[in-house]
Amino acid sequence: MKRSDAAVSVILIGLAGFILLESRHLSFGTMRVPQTAFFPKILAVLLLIFSGISLLQAIIGTKSSTRSEPLTAEGWARIGATLATMVGFAFLLERAGFFLTTFFLMVLLLRAIEAQRWSKVIGIAVATALISYAIFGWLLGIPLPTGILGI
Amino acid sequence: MDLFANVALGFSVALTPTNLLFCFLGSLVGTLVGVLPGLGPVGAIAFLLSLTFKMEPATAIIMLAGIYYGAMYGGSTTSILVNIPGETASVVTCLDGYRMARQGRAGAALGISAFGSFIAGTFGVIGLMFLAPMLGRAALRFGPPEYFALTLTGLTLVAYLTQGSMLKALIMTALGLLAGSVGMDPISGEERFTFGSLTLRDGLGLVPVAMGLFGIAEVLENLGATGTQSIYQTKIKGLLPNAKDWRDSGWPIARGSVIGFLLGILPGPGPVIASFVSYAMEKRMSRYPEKFGTGVIEGVAGPEAANNSATAGSFIPLLSLGIPTSAIMALFMGALMIHGIQPGPLFISKYPELFWGFIASMYIGNAMLLVLNLPLIGIWVRVLKTPYTILFPLILLFCLIGVYTLNSNTTEILIMLSFGIAGFLLRRLGFEGAPFILAMVLGPVMETSLRQTLLISRGSFAIFYTRPICAVLLALTILFLTFPLLRAKKNS
Repeated sequence: MKRSDAAVSVILIGLAGFILLESRHLSFGTMRVPQTAFFPKILAVLLLIFSGISLLQAIIGTKSSTRSEPLTAEGWARIGATLATMVGFAFLLERAGFFLTTFFLMVLLLRAIEAQRWSKVIGIAVATALISYAIFGWLLGIPLPTGILGI
Repeated sequence: MDLFANVALGFSVALTPTNLLFCFLGSLVGTLVGVLPGLGPVGAIAFLLSLTFKMEPATAIIMLAGIYYGAMYGGSTTSILVNIPGETASVVTCLDGYRMARQGRAGAALGISAFGSFIAGTFGVIGLMFLAPMLGRAALRFGPPEYFALTLTGLTLVAYLTQGSMLKALIMTALGLLAGSVGMDPISGEERFTFGSLTLRDGLGLVPVAMGLFGIAEVLENLGATGTQSIYQTKIKGLLPNAKDWRDSGWPIARGSVIGFLLGILPGPGPVIASFVSYAMEKRMSRYPEKFGTGVIEGVAGPEAANNSATAGSFIPLLSLGIPTSAIMALFMGALMIHGIQPGPLFISKYPELFWGFIASMYIGNAMLLVLNLPLIGIWVRVLKTPYTILFPLILLFCLIGVYTLNSNTTEILIMLSFGIAGFLLRRLGFEGAPFILAMVLGPVMETSLRQTLLISRGSFAIFYTRPICAVLLALTILFLTFPLLRAKKNS
């Protein structure tokens, strides 16, 4: 059995079930006058069928599951750290302001793959925060959130 | 208005200082995107889409088109010098291009690639100029049943042409169509799957989804498998191909231009398929097929011409039928719709200055790219040496800022990150992002046309096989769906 394919198929079957459940509150209409739930319900049923076939294939083991090389623990850690940094950016942007958030994002990301010299990291982070503020805030006139530093 | 008047109108639009500047910027950014592995043209266009909101529609589409064909030009540089394709359409160029570089013929490979791209790109634009208006006029006879059949055939063909499992591509298509149904019902205005979120009321944004699936997922993939890449250290000389190079490359460029243009029109990753088909054809027609893969110039000239010609061809279904045939075309459709412009059969007659301005800009852009890619090759080689440790934070930062500035809404960032994670995991499991994004954009068109068709036919599906165009398209759909099954049965 191809475990990863089976797991994805089960998740997709669950998703299709959830969509069917959510669509109960919407009007389906008739074939003559289809309404809001008509199209999503058809799609959810199709998704259910395709995922069912995929699950069967995974159980029988006729198809290859993954096409990528397995990642190392170090690789997963880099990905996790990068994602956590970006989620942090989303939560802090409107609270701490554009400049500070961008600065910390760059510092953390620049050290995510390999430990680089702090002077280099801080230099690049400050330059990037200033240049991107100049491009988006001043040049393009896009309103960017201001924090304690006023930019 | 005759052709010459239209072309003159186009040049009057494309040659304004603003449009010239943005054509140049688009070509420059496109080349950069093509040169740098890590952010493909889809991610780059999705990112820059938000910057086009304040532009004139013609300026916006001219810049975005520049990025698209610029990436095709630039992608060959990394294939030839590093053996890493800058984008998928340049994969096949690695085979002979890199070998040529190792034999000290990097200059000839880069030169023929740029000239071949220029010739084919120009051929593609001429084809687009003639074919798009013709198809647009024919499509005026299309009603909702034809549009439904066309979108269905297009999506099935994309799933059929996907590199991996067709079943997985069909799952992604269904998911994309479902994602397209989030928000207000296009007919009744009733809310669906918004879960009380104001952000989701207008539907899932194309930009955060595309940037997540293509930009963020790509970076995560690279981060997971970070390795060092080395540029082949060679002095690049003789960028102008010699007489023998031209003799060997003339026909491959001509054939690649025609094949590329025709394959570009079809749904799916046109430039990618075109480059592979061109390579296979050149190998088959060659007097020395066994030498392919060892550094023959035909193996660079044909595919590079084909992928550039295909970029022009891929605009035809979008501009004349309103049907995007790839993820990039879906983004172009989004760019036009943001400005209140609906691509389709009436597009050319309603917005002649936009269509012909765009055509003229492609001529100009192709010429600009020749200048950008040949004399400036040294700069691109230096850009290639940018360490990924510095490059990837910049890519991510621009994705984050690009999505935030759409509506000054951090929820859009979270949507992008969610799709980035999903895209990364699904990609590792063999699910492609292109069928998803295409289905998401085509979803509302497909749903509206299906519901209108059933209203017209009073609920009867017979309408689909009593109208000739629908019948042919549905027959093709069935063929694409059953062909893999028949092939599997034959193989077993």
